[in-house]
Amino acid sequence: MTSKFKKMAVDCETLVAALKAKFADDIVRLDVREHRGGSLNEVQSRDLWIEISRTAFRPFLDFLFEYDFVDFHVISGDDVGIADAVQTQTQSQAQDQNPDGQNQEKPQEDSVLLHYHFSLFQRSRCGRMGVTLSVRVPKGDLSVPSIFDLLPGSEYSEREMHEMLGVEFVGLPNSALVFLPEDWNEEIKPWRRDGVGPALEALRELS
Amino acid sequence: MSTTYTIPVGPVHVGLKEPITAWLELEGERIVNARVRPGAIHRGIEFMARERNPIQVIYLSERICGICSFSHVICFIRAVEDLAQMNVPVRGQYIRSLVLELERVHSHLLWSGVACYTIGFDSAFHLGMQMRERVMDVLELLSGNRVNYGVATFGGVRWDVTPELEKALRGMVRYYRQEFTPFREIVMEDPVAQARMRNVGVLTRDEAVRYSAVGPTARASGLRIDLRKSSPYEAYADFDVEPVVPQDYFGEAHGDVLDRFAVRVLEVYQSLDIIEKILDGLPEGPFVEEANLNKVMASLKKADGTGWGIIEAPRGDDTHIVSLKGGVDNVLWWKVRAPTYANAVSWPIMFRGNELADAPLIINSIDPCISCMERMLVTDEREYRSEVVTRSELVKRSRQKTFELGSLKSKYVPGGGAEQ
Repeated sequence: MTSKFKKMAVDCETLVAALKAKFADDIVRLDVREHRGGSLNEVQSRDLWIEISRTAFRPFLDFLFEYDFVDFHVISGDDVGIADAVQTQTQSQAQDQNPDGQNQEKPQEDSVLLHYHFSLFQRSRCGRMGVTLSVRVPKGDLSVPSIFDLLPGSEYSEREMHEMLGVEFVGLPNSALVFLPEDWNEEIKPWRRDGVGPALEALRELS
Repeated sequence: MSTTYTIPVGPVHVGLKEPITAWLELEGERIVNARVRPGAIHRGIEFMARERNPIQVIYLSERICGICSFSHVICFIRAVEDLAQMNVPVRGQYIRSLVLELERVHSHLLWSGVACYTIGFDSAFHLGMQMRERVMDVLELLSGNRVNYGVATFGGVRWDVTPELEKALRGMVRYYRQEFTPFREIVMEDPVAQARMRNVGVLTRDEAVRYSAVGPTARASGLRIDLRKSSPYEAYADFDVEPVVPQDYFGEAHGDVLDRFAVRVLEVYQSLDIIEKILDGLPEGPFVEEANLNKVMASLKKADGTGWGIIEAPRGDDTHIVSLKGGVDNVLWWKVRAPTYANAVSWPIMFRGNELADAPLIINSIDPCISCMERMLVTDEREYRSEVVTRSELVKRSRQKTFELGSLKSKYVPGGGAEQ
């Protein structure tokens, strides 16, 4: 099987401009963080933090794969509930004035926020760019497309997010438990902060 | 007539937070398929962190792994420093890199010793274990501990490099330069060891990319990746670190156990060079930004957001993601991805086509902790018979294979792979 990776490496500004041009309406938030180090305190690497609307998630990833060596690290996530709406307030107000916008974010909705962590451009010295792609999944329809077909290495992460937060990954061939015990009650999702999470009396203090 | 057996290997306690059971489907001695199920002792460390403040979690993260404890600590601390925009003085960065490299030497020596034990090469195993003591003595001199060093803190480190320690470190580098080469030659040039490791547990370059293999496992498959080069953190910003890949030494990358052995062994030399450069270039100045933990805690309480720490641990890249909420003492959430989490996904591919006696070696080759592998259950589906094979019996099988090879030594053609 041949890998799908292409060798297009660009600098941070070019990538950000390309992403903004292609997904202007779908990017909820985009930050660039610089990491400095060493005796000269120069920039050693950059991280890109992007939040994207759920409908644009898969097209965004397919676009990312046009670039050099998308290396997958892990998926992290949290039950953000409805309290996390402040950050995206401005964006949602902007979208309210544009009722034709297909990918309208509803930050007020009770949701789970998933973060996909990737690296790009690892060939050159100081060339690596970390990409954290966040996608907000409402609890009413807790599902995202699986990236297993692009990178089978994501299997454990997707299974973990399924068992810990209850997110359904559409297209993942095996979504059985991965870290929780065989006899675990699958209705309990340990990392959820609502009724689906573990009840207080189920927790055992060990120390 | 062929009989298919299904054999669960494990649960394998890999020394990190991922103990793993491998279900091997066998035709005779040959593995035709493999499934992997981790989770036998998932401790819920990430959940526990929600009840602790970031300073307490430093010491919790140190207990994720007994060998690369410092890597997890640095990774967690860097994630918090990323979100809280904290600085680390240059001397602190150098000491962090120094301990990371000492840990790499420790981890690789331990692994190469245990790999020799798995194939029954006991004299090399003892040699490896004996050499490992020297780096542990140095770590003990630095921190007072052999395993969990308690060295790092937010904004720097807690212990300085004293003249006494520097002397011990330079002595250690000299010792390894002298003693490590015979060990490498004894193992890598031994025809029987070569036959046991060459073309066993192969992971091709394409598979390594698709299955997100990391660290020495990825590099042994020919991938030229190393975070110390592509995104230098701490003092690596001042040194040029080139990824160690087998094609530079053997001409081509096989992606097998011997290549993984070679990558780790050669990385020990690289680490020694880095340790020497760190000692030569160690800048003067403070080694921690703010030593008063109450002040650190007060500033962390104001921090709000999500941070990402990623470093090149001995086994591959280690990733921590931490989220803090302003006004709240405790960590909001924390995700740890130890290197084995990524490498274990490629196990089923490595197993395919190999013999049962190679299974312990393949499991070991990504550097989990085989010593905790408890038992195997052999199930004969036709006769509805099952028997428990203990860990010692499994290792005995692996060692037996080497001894049989040893008696065929005269027939072995060097470079011809593991053909018996």
